[in-house]
Amino acid sequence: MQFKDQIDFVRQHIRRNKLRVFMTILAATMGTAFLIVLASVGFGIHDTLRDEMLSNRLVTEIQVYESDDAQNLEEEVDSFKKIEHVKAVINQQRLGTNSETILEDYEGYHDFVVSDFKEEAKVGFELKEGRLPQEAHEVVVGSDFGTALYIESEENEELTTYEGKLIGEQFSYAIENIEGDFVEDPMTFTIVGIGEHPTKEWEYDRNIFADVSVLPELEKLYNADDEKDMDPWYSNITVYADKVENVSKVSKEIKEQGYYTYSISDELKQLDVFFLALKAGLIFVGTIAILIASIGIFNTMTMAVTERTREIGVMKAIGANPKLIQRLFVMESAWIGVMGTVIAILLSYGVSMIANYILPIIVFSALGEGNPDDFEIVFSVIPWQLIVIASIISIGVAVISGWRPARKATKIDVIQALRQEL
Amino acid sequence: MIQVMNLSHAFKIGKRGNEKSIPVLKDIDFRVKQGEIVSIVGKSGSGKSTFLHVLAGFMVPQKGKVLINGTETSTFKEAESAAFRLENYGFIFQNFQLMPRLNAFENIELPLKLQGIDRVKRHEKVKALMKETGLDNVADHYPNELSGGQQQRVGIARALITNPPIIFADEPTGSLDSETEQDVLLLIQSLNQTHGITFVIITHDEEVAHIANRMYTMHDGQLTEGSDQRAI
Repeated sequence: MQFKDQIDFVRQHIRRNKLRVFMTILAATMGTAFLIVLASVGFGIHDTLRDEMLSNRLVTEIQVYESDDAQNLEEEVDSFKKIEHVKAVINQQRLGTNSETILEDYEGYHDFVVSDFKEEAKVGFELKEGRLPQEAHEVVVGSDFGTALYIESEENEELTTYEGKLIGEQFSYAIENIEGDFVEDPMTFTIVGIGEHPTKEWEYDRNIFADVSVLPELEKLYNADDEKDMDPWYSNITVYADKVENVSKVSKEIKEQGYYTYSISDELKQLDVFFLALKAGLIFVGTIAILIASIGIFNTMTMAVTERTREIGVMKAIGANPKLIQRLFVMESAWIGVMGTVIAILLSYGVSMIANYILPIIVFSALGEGNPDDFEIVFSVIPWQLIVIASIISIGVAVISGWRPARKATKIDVIQALRQEL
Repeated sequence: MIQVMNLSHAFKIGKRGNEKSIPVLKDIDFRVKQGEIVSIVGKSGSGKSTFLHVLAGFMVPQKGKVLINGTETSTFKEAESAAFRLENYGFIFQNFQLMPRLNAFENIELPLKLQGIDRVKRHEKVKALMKETGLDNVADHYPNELSGGQQQRVGIARALITNPPIIFADEPTGSLDSETEQDVLLLIQSLNQTHGITFVIITHDEEVAHIANRMYTMHDGQLTEGSDQRAI
């Protein structure tokens, strides 16, 4: 029998028992949709947490520390840049000397950080306003810069902080030199950008960020000898990998050069393992629903075989191969499985979209907060892998459920079947 | 064409360990030449249907051989037997045994589908045969919309559609009135003459048996050539 005719044959039988087949497909659909939606919650929450961690550049970040074997870290910055999959190497140097900032009549103390802004731009230095420095005397200030600038009120001796605009403003910055005296000629800087507030609410950022091109001038002011011990700078070197997957590769190479490294992706791995187990558990629970649906398929197919005993007998009598009869019944149950799966997939996408639209509204209104723009919860995600897994389980279970009734059909005795009453 | 040698078969009844063996076919020898119509007449329970089932390969005999054109079919496995039936035999049943949810056309087409023949060729063949058997005006009728005679014509056309060398007919007129019976018998005779098909007809009706070139009678599992009044 040609395959096309086999399909026709199966369709003809299905059309005969529309209601029964429909109910069986419905059961298979519900089972499969339950599996997909259940597991999609695991995928959704995992993705939300992962995205949250990935969204700040911390994940691709590898912090590098000197070790007993390797202590010339600053000199290695260029060699780190040559490692494959390295996106940027940032050497933030913090000035470790007393200083004084003066803006209009306000005075204050701010940490001074020098970094290579070409590298910073590659990994996205986050600005609330303005732009990154392009010249030696341009700086970006931390979001709380103004809160560390004070003026003493003459009337009640209270301190007032600076609340005026910052962008475009100039301030002078004086440092203590190596002898411990404030330099006479302070430097002047123009504010071109304001940094984003730190992600943690309670933290504040009062730093001044300048480009590395200002370094020679500052060193001259500090008047240090060439000796390294006298250097006022504290280095903090961070290497950024291009992708999370490459963090461990890059880390390994840096370690091979004798340095210590730390990366948050080490912790991400544990999160992945936890969610892998959770997802497997959810798929297992979903599979039980499909197994329950399979009882329906088994029942439908057994009834189909019993009802068609005489027809199967006639077919065998005129020369149908028992294997063909078995195949026709297995195809019928597989068709139920395929239809159930296709409808379930469409249904699951619908449920998933609705859940992602409605649940965040419910959650945020229950918490009494509006949905913050920077935090998006995704409850349900259906990746193609889940579709593949669910389809294999659902169609596989349908075929297995139809197998026994199909075997029973091949065992039908022709003589007995022909004797059956019409 | 058909050669049966020393064929014996017994049914076992009763529970295991306490079985009784009831012989139904006893040392049967039987020969049919190509193009013959042979009838086997016998009372109900004489063993004629069992004999047909053995000939058709629906059951395996306990003793003896069945040879069709020199091929021993009595040792075939189920799948081999099915494949052999599809190519070599046609069947006409007392109850017509049509598929209730297929129309006349589709019922006749079924064996060709099983043979894997192309749709276009199938349709050509079925149309031609329906015309020959006078069924062309009932092609889209379902079995329950046809008279007994028409149903049997469809049954005959289904048996004939694959051009088998042999057609087995089990009480082909058993469910028909006498007028329709004559029609069907004439059709069988004409097909035998025009297509040269060998017919083996099982019947309890001597009138049916008389259209045969040769007649056998079955009595208590024994087959003898010629008319045996005990058997009718």
